[in-house]
Amino acid sequence: MPLAVQALLPLAVLLAAAALIGVLGRRANNGWVAFTATAAAAVIALIELLRLAPGEHVDVPYLTTFPFAALTIRLDGLSLAFVSVTLATAALSMLARQQDREDRRDPWMGWLLTSAAVCAVMLAANVLLLYILMQLLTLAWSGALDETARRRRGLRLALQIGDIGLLLAAAGAIQSVGTSSFSGVPSDTFGLASFSLMLLPVLVRLAALAWAARRPLASVAFGPAIAWLAPGAYLLLRVLALMGGRLPDRPSAVVLFGGGALAAIALGTAAIWGRSIAQVMALLVGAQAALALGLSSGSDPLLTIACTWLWLMLIPVAGLASLRMGPVGEAITLGLLTAIPGTVAFVGVWLSGLALNATGLLLGVIPVGLAVLACATAGLSRITMPRSWRVDISAVWAGVTLLIAAFPIMTINPFVIPAASTVRLVPRGTVSANPLGLTTPFGSWPALAVSLIVLVGLATIVWLRGPSGTLVPALPRPAAGRVRLSIRIPALSLPLWAHYIAWAALIVVVGVASVRP
Amino acid sequence: MIVDLPIVVFMIALLVAYGTTGLRRQAATVVMLLGAAWSLALLVDPATIIWAVGPLLATLLLPRPAERVPSTFEVLTRRVLTIAGLMLLALFLASRLAFGENPLLLNVVPWFLGAVGAAWVASPIDTRERVQGQVLMVGATGALLVAAVPAGVVTVALTGGTALVPVMAGRGLAAWRPLLSPLMLLGAAAAAVAAAIGLNIPALAVADFSVNLAGPVLVGLAVLLVAGAARAPLGSEWMALLGGVALVAPAPSLRWSAIAALVAAATALDRSGERPAWIAVGALATVPILPPLASPTWSARAQAVALAIGLVVMAYAARSGLLRVLALPAVGFLVLLAVGSLSPGNLTRFQWIAAVGALLLLTRTVITRLARSPVAILTDQLIVGLALLGLAARDGSGLGALAAVLLLIDVAIVRLDDFSGIAPRLVSWARSNWPGSITFAGGTLAVIAALQASLALGLLAALLLAGLQLAPLFDGPPQAPERPRSRMGWLAPALSFAFGVAPALMLRMLRL
Repeated sequence: MPLAVQALLPLAVLLAAAALIGVLGRRANNGWVAFTATAAAAVIALIELLRLAPGEHVDVPYLTTFPFAALTIRLDGLSLAFVSVTLATAALSMLARQQDREDRRDPWMGWLLTSAAVCAVMLAANVLLLYILMQLLTLAWSGALDETARRRRGLRLALQIGDIGLLLAAAGAIQSVGTSSFSGVPSDTFGLASFSLMLLPVLVRLAALAWAARRPLASVAFGPAIAWLAPGAYLLLRVLALMGGRLPDRPSAVVLFGGGALAAIALGTAAIWGRSIAQVMALLVGAQAALALGLSSGSDPLLTIACTWLWLMLIPVAGLASLRMGPVGEAITLGLLTAIPGTVAFVGVWLSGLALNATGLLLGVIPVGLAVLACATAGLSRITMPRSWRVDISAVWAGVTLLIAAFPIMTINPFVIPAASTVRLVPRGTVSANPLGLTTPFGSWPALAVSLIVLVGLATIVWLRGPSGTLVPALPRPAAGRVRLSIRIPALSLPLWAHYIAWAALIVVVGVASVRP
Repeated sequence: MIVDLPIVVFMIALLVAYGTTGLRRQAATVVMLLGAAWSLALLVDPATIIWAVGPLLATLLLPRPAERVPSTFEVLTRRVLTIAGLMLLALFLASRLAFGENPLLLNVVPWFLGAVGAAWVASPIDTRERVQGQVLMVGATGALLVAAVPAGVVTVALTGGTALVPVMAGRGLAAWRPLLSPLMLLGAAAAAVAAAIGLNIPALAVADFSVNLAGPVLVGLAVLLVAGAARAPLGSEWMALLGGVALVAPAPSLRWSAIAALVAAATALDRSGERPAWIAVGALATVPILPPLASPTWSARAQAVALAIGLVVMAYAARSGLLRVLALPAVGFLVLLAVGSLSPGNLTRFQWIAAVGALLLLTRTVITRLARSPVAILTDQLIVGLALLGLAARDGSGLGALAAVLLLIDVAIVRLDDFSGIAPRLVSWARSNWPGSITFAGGTLAVIAALQASLALGLLAALLLAGLQLAPLFDGPPQAPERPRSRMGWLAPALSFAFGVAPALMLRMLRL
C-alpha cells in the first residue's frame, strides 16, 4: 500500500465512520460503529508505529500550498505512539458509553470528529498546520459553530486564544528559517519567547483538566482525556522535540520544574478536601499532569523517558477518571491516581528520581515526593472496600492499567521509547525492560514484585478496616456550601467625544511618521 | 493679465451663485465650471477643456428652486465660515503644490472649485446643493489630477464624465437591474477564471484610454462586481462599475475621479461616514499629485503618509452601505497596488499609521459602546484592522496582500449575508472565526505576514486576532442584512469556504 494512503488510514477510518453515522442518522448501533472505527484506527496507528524503525520519521506531503504551510503528515514515534494511545482511550470511552442505556443522547458523530481532529493534530507536520488543527479540534469537541453559544464558552475561548501562541511561534519560525515544518526547523530556532508562546496552549489545556473538576460528570466525559490532555501532552513533547529535547536555558527549566511541582502539590492538596469522588479524580489527574509538566523540563534521556511515560500513561488514566464507574472500577482508579508504588504514575516518578539523582539534582526529588504524598493522601483517604464486586468496563480498564504498572515491558518498548527517542536522542540501554521490571544504569525497578506487595498490603488493610473504613483516615472536609468569588466590574461610561483621543493619537503618529527622516 | 481672467470669472460666478436662486444660480454654477475649465486649458492644454462636459451636464440636470431656502443666522454663519476656511486651505495648497511655473491665481481655480464643492457638501442649504457640491468635488478631483498628471482627450472626457455620477445616484438605474446584475456576476466569474488560470491579458487601449488587468486587478474587479451584484442596495448595483473603472484605469485622473464618484454615489444613499470618506478621497487623490508638484525631498514621504491616511480614514468611514460594500474594497485594492512601490523607509511610515489606524477602529467601537451610542460592530472593525495590517505588511511571499484581500472579501461580501437563510449552521460557520472560514484564513495569514514585517505589528495582529475570538460576545446577535433575501444566499458561504479552505487559490489569482 502506498505510504500516502497508509498515513491517512487512521484518519480516513474515523472520518468514514463519522460520514456513515451522518448518512444513517440516529441508530442504536451507532455506538458500535464509532467504537469499531476508533479501535481500528488505533490498531492501524499501532501497526504503523511497530513498522517504524528506531528513530525513523517519515514526512508524507499531500499538498504544497506555500513553502511553510504544506499539508503534510508526519509519522514518527511520538506522533504514532500518541495516536495509538489516544485512540485506544477514545475507543474504550466509547465502549463505556455504549454500556450506558439511560443516556439517550447520540454523541457518536461529535466524538468521532473529535477523535479524527486529535489524530490529525498528532499527525501534523508543521507548527502552522498544528495551530489550525488545534482550532479545529476545539470546534469538534465543543460543537459550537455559533461562537456566542453559552456551552463551555469560557473554556472554548481560552483554548482559542491560548492557541494563538502557537500561531505566533509558527510565524516566528517562518520569519527566521522560512518554514515551520518539523523537519526543517533547526533546534535553536525557538528561543525562550517562542517556547513560552507554545507553552500557552499546553497550560490552558492542563488548566482545563482541573477546571473540569467543578462540573458534574456525565456518564462519560470525552473532553478531558481526548480533547485536552492528549493534545496538550503531545504538543509539549513535540515542542521539546523541536528544541532538541531541552529547554532554551537553565532558568526556564527551573521555573517549569518548580511551577509544575508546585501546581502538582497544590492540586493534590486540594484533592484531599475534594467534595466528590469525581472532583477528587479530576484534581488528581490535574496534579499528575502538572507533575509530568514539571518533569518535562529535564534534558537527561532517562528523564525524557520518564516524562514521556507519565504523559502517555496519563491519557488512559484520565479517560478512566472521566467515566461514571462502578465500585470496583472506582476503587482501582482512585488507587491509580494516588501515584504510590504499583501505579503507572509511580514508574515515571521512580525513573525521574533516578535521573535527578544521576544528574546531581537529588533535591528535586523533594517536591516530587511531596506531590506524590499529597496525591496518595487524597486518593487513599477515599478508597473503601467495594460494596459490590460487579466487574464493569471501568474495572477491566483500570485493571489493565494496573497490569501495565506491573509489567511495564508491555508499553515501554512499543510506545514510550519510540516516542522519547523522537523528543531527544535516547542512547541504547538507557532503560531496558524485562517481564519483572525495568533496569537502568542508575538502578532497577522491580515492578511486578512491588505491584504484588502493594496490592496484597492494600487488600489486607482494607480487609482489616472493614467495609466502611478508608485506607487512611480522611481529613475533616469543609461544609457543603460553595464559596463563590464574584468580581463586579463597575459600569464605565464615557462621553462620546472620548473617541477624539484616538484621533489625536493617530494625528500624533501621522506627524511623527511625516517628519521622521 | 489673461491668465487672471479665469479666477475673476470664477469668483464673480461664485458670488452670484451665493446671492441668487433658481436659474440664475444654476447659470452662475455653470460659469464657475467654465472658469475652472478655462484655467485647466491654460494650465495644461486647450483640449482638456473637454473635461467640463461632465460637470456641466450634471449641473444642467440639477435645477435650483426659484425660492430662496429659509435660513437662520447660525446656518448662514456656518456656511460662510465653511467656505472661507476651505478656500483658505485651497489657497494654501495651491501655493504649495503649484502646476509648473504658472501664477498662483491661475493655479488656484481648480482648488477653489473643490473648496466650493466641499463647502456645499459639508454645510448644504438643501439636498440639491449637496448633490451639486458632490458634482463639483468629483469634477475638481478630476481637474486637479488632469492638471498634475496630463492625460489624453478620451481619458480627460471620461474623467469629467464621472461628475455625472452623483446626479445619476439619486435617480437610479432600476430598469437595467435585471440585466445588469447577472452580467456583473458573469463578468466577475470570467475575471476570476482568468485570474485563476493565469491568463495573460495584454493592456487594452482605445485611443489614449487604456485598461490594465495585470496583477491583482482582475481579482479586485471580480470582488467588486460580486459585491455590487450581491450586496449593494437594490438599484445601486451599477456603482460597482465605478470601482471597476478605478481599478482597471491606469490614468490617475480617471482612477481617483471614479473613486470620488463612487463615494459621492455611496453617500447619496446613506450619509453615515460621508465626511471621513471624502477626507479619505482627498488624501488618496493627493498621492499621484505629489510627485509632479511637490519637492522631491518630501514628496515620497508625504505620498506614503497620504496613502496610509486615506486607507485608514476610509476604513473608519466604511461601516455600512456602499462605502463598506464597494468603496472599501476598491480603495483596498488600489492601496495594494500602490504599496508595492514604497521604499522600505516609507513602508515603515505606512505601517505605523496603519497600526494606529487599526487601534483607532478598535478604540472607536469600544468608546462608542461605553458612551452608549450606536456602535460599529466590533468583529467587523477587528477584521478591517487586520486587513490594514495585512496591507501594511508587504512580505516577500505576498501573504499580507492575500490576508488583506481575504478579509476585504469577508467584510464586503461574506459578513453581510442573510443569517436566517437556508442551512443556518453552514452560514454560521462561514461567518465564524473557525478553521475553514475566510475570517480564520485571513486572520491567521495577517498575523504571519505582520510578524514578517515587524515584531510590534505581529503582536498587534495577534491581539486583534485574540479580540476577534471575543468579539461575538461583545456584538450580540448579527444585524439584519441590508437587502432582502435573494437566491444568491449560497454565495457568501461558498466564497468563505472556498478561500477559507484553499487560500492559496487566491494567492495564485492575485499574481503578485
